This record gives sequence, C-alpha cells and structure tokens, in this order.
Amino acid sequence: MEGRTFAQVLIRRLETGYEMRHTDDLDAENLETSDDPRLAREISRLTEAGEHRPLKSAPNLRRGWILRVADAREMAVAMNYLYPAAVVHWHLEREGKLEITSYRENAARQSGIYKRVQRLSDEGVHNAAQACCEDAVCLKRTLWDVDGETPLAMDRGNGEIPCPEPCSLFVSFARRVRLFEREERERDAAGLTPSEREDLASLVAARASGKMKMAREAEFEEPLNERRLRYRLLTLAPKLRPGE
Amino acid sequence: MRALVIVGHGSHLNGDSSLPVYEHAARIRETREFDEVVECFWKEEPSMRHVLDTVESDDICVVPAFISEGYFTQQVIPRELGLDGPVTEKGGMTVRYAGPLGTFGQMEGVILERTEDLMRGKKKRPGRTALVLLGHGTDLNKSSSGVIYLNAERIREHSLFDLVAEAFLDQAPEVGEVVAGVEAENVILIPVFIAEGWHTRETIPEDLGLTGEVTEREDRTIFYGAPVGTHPSMADLIAARARDTYRTGDQAPGTAGCEDEVVRSAS
Repeated sequence: MEGRTFAQVLIRRLETGYEMRHTDDLDAENLETSDDPRLAREISRLTEAGEHRPLKSAPNLRRGWILRVADAREMAVAMNYLYPAAVVHWHLEREGKLEITSYRENAARQSGIYKRVQRLSDEGVHNAAQACCEDAVCLKRTLWDVDGETPLAMDRGNGEIPCPEPCSLFVSFARRVRLFEREERERDAAGLTPSEREDLASLVAARASGKMKMAREAEFEEPLNERRLRYRLLTLAPKLRPGE
Repeated sequence: MRALVIVGHGSHLNGDSSLPVYEHAARIRETREFDEVVECFWKEEPSMRHVLDTVESDDICVVPAFISEGYFTQQVIPRELGLDGPVTEKGGMTVRYAGPLGTFGQMEGVILERTEDLMRGKKKRPGRTALVLLGHGTDLNKSSSGVIYLNAERIREHSLFDLVAEAFLDQAPEVGEVVAGVEAENVILIPVFIAEGWHTRETIPEDLGLTGEVTEREDRTIFYGAPVGTHPSMADLIAARARDTYRTGDQAPGTAGCEDEVVRSAS
C-alpha cells in the first residue's frame, strides 16, 4: 500500500500536502472530505456506534472521512488528535530516545484509589496486559515490561505506535484485576470466586434474553465488558474446561 | 516559543468531561496569544505523562482546568508532569505551573455571565431573588468549599441579588436544604463545576426534583444553570491565568519537532 499506515489511518502524500483516511476506506467513495486538521478531534471522539473513545488506539476509529491538509505541520496536528503523542513516540523510538516505564515503576507512583495496583501479582500483570493491550483491543505495540527482570508475557503486536508505559485505562483495569485477586480466599466448593459467579450468571442471563448489550469500553465493573471477559477467558475458562 | 498546556480530568466513560477543555483550547488558539495551545488529561489521551513530548515550545505554562486546590492540583498533576514547584526546568524546557481557576479574580465575572445567560428572557416571580453557588465540597479538603465562599463574598459586594448563598453536595450546607430554605421567591442555582457530568445532569436534578432550567414550586421558582466551567468566558480566564503565571521567571532554550521525518516516511 502506498503511503504510511498508523494504526487505522493511512497517510499519503499529495501533490501539495497530505491526505489521511481510515485504512478500511482505501477504495471507499462518498467520504466526507475536509481540509481542517482540527476536525480530527471530532473524528476520533466517538465510535461508529456513537460511544466515547477514552483510548484512541483502540481499533474502533470510525470510517467515512478524508482529511486533506496543507503541510506536515497540519498533518501532525491531525495525527495528534487521531493518535495523541503517537507520532512523537514513533519518532523517539526510531531515534532510540523513547523512555520506557515498567509496570512496577508506574504502579509505584500511583495514589488514591489506584494505590492498590502496587500489590498486583506478576501473573496478574501478564493476564491484565493480555486482556487489555493486545491488538484485538489496542493497536499500540507494548514496549514496557513488568519490571527490569520480568518481561511481559503477551503478544505485543507489531503496530507502528509504540506504547512506552501503562496508560490510565490499563491502570484502571489493573486495579480491577487486583480486586479479583483479593477474592482468592472466597472460592466456593466449585472453585469459583464471587465475581466469577456473577459474571457467568450475567452472561447466561444476557445471552438468554437475546439482548447481549456489552458494557462500555472502560466499564470494568460490569460483567459484560470486553476486557473483563478477555480476562475471564484467560483465567476462568481453563478452570471450567480443564484439559483443553 | 510559548505553549499553554491545559490539564483536564477527562473520563474513561463519557466525553462531557474533556469537552470544555477542548473548546476553551480552541478559543484561546484563535487569539494567537500562545505559539501552541495543547490539551492533556488524567483519564484520556494525551496523558499528562506524555504531553510535554508533543510540545515544541521551550517556555510552557500548565493551567489546571480544576476549580479548587486539592488532590489533583497538589499531587497528581505535579507528579504526572514531573513538576517540582511553580517553575520547573526539565529537558531544556521551563515549565510554569499555574494555580486552579476558581480563586482567580475573573471567576466571579464568569459566574455572573453564566447567571445572565440563564436568566435572559426568563420571567421571575415578584419578590426576592437569591443566587446560590453550588460546589462539590468535601469534608476532606477545605479548599473545595473555600472557592465557593470566596466567590459568593465577591459577588455579594456587587449587590446584584437580594442574597447570595453557598451550597454543597458532600458537606453542609446541603444543596437541597439551601434551595428549599433560602428566603427568596426566585432561586438561581449555579453549579461551580468544570464540566457537565453525572452530578450536573443526574444527581442534582434528581435530588432537587428539577424539571429543566426552570422549575416551579409552590413557594418559589428555581432556575438551574449550566456549569460555570463550560461557559465560553472560561477560555479568557484560563488565558489570563497563564498570562499572570508568565509574569515571573525567564525563558530557557528550545527543542524541535519531528514532523519532517513523518513527511519523509509517508511518501
């Protein structure tokens, strides 16, 4: 493909200036065209379904638009709304100057309701990262590790945008996983924790009702949250189907 | 070069929280007073942690879009941005840290503008009119309520209303009691909040039984305004806050951007 791809955005050079569009809109017609780089904020704000996008690198950028901007500076402005700080981090990584912050370093400075993420086990960090950061839910390439000696066990992806440090969404998810860890002593005779029982019951009820409405992207307290379910797939499914 | 960095709380769940920060930034950008105007957030992107990577200027003013001094302005923002005081030298940048917005001198003016906007074309009952400033308040931190008392006192000096009262969500005097008990036939309730959100859209209207901007009760009419922080004049206040912060200190040498390399690799 001619041009350069950043996550879900294709950038191509025009005779004068640059064009940006969704990678899935390569051959699409009737796209809304604008020359205002700041319109990128409006494009990146909501998903196709109209939901708030707290994490711009989630693979849910809406389609249907073209930005044709005058020069590199305007392209940088637009890219900074589509993928905040991504271009500068991509550049710093190429220069070998991107500073990486491990999970433990990040956790050490958390306070208030997030202080408890300091107690998340290494295994909890691995599972949380697989559930929260792989390409199915975030297109950044994870560069950070648990700490200096413990590499993160996950598929880091091969996207263009480096992720140099756990983001606020991850810290929030890590807090939720730490709360799951604290339930270990409350396992019932079947080996399930209270929240695992709740999630299974909610899943069954939702599926049976025919209205499988998923929780919002960062609603980690809700059983039907995608990242929470991904975590259950890693930690609960093997217990329910041992030997598979 | 000078950059204004506006720090908002942001939200993982809804876009209301960051919206005023983007809107105020756009307004300030139009004035061209600063070479760059950049937004960053605690719960959204760009994060405070990385926003300075994206700034080309060498002289930066960070203005928190927060009403009062507290946990965020005193702990979280300095920690995430790596600031060690009112002026921090780091990576060839001079980073100045401004105070929160609520105590700044222009705040009372924004509150009054918000009140005027609300009351324009609305019919009041005969009798007295009270302005009630509503803050979040918390027993954990006196600054939260202090901002409300300060602005109420400043507004009283204008003698525009028969009385000006303070009310809170999480401390006394509680908003429901103030709105019901204040001796006035017309009660203008203005939330001194930065953004629309759960409280302004849901808990406050529900708890007070408000039906919209105007709610008729047997003994009084309640006029409910939008949060002060979303008023367009807040942009002027943010810029003035930065201007005030810039009045001290010297400039430091600069850094460069990286658009050129993107350009090369995109072609």
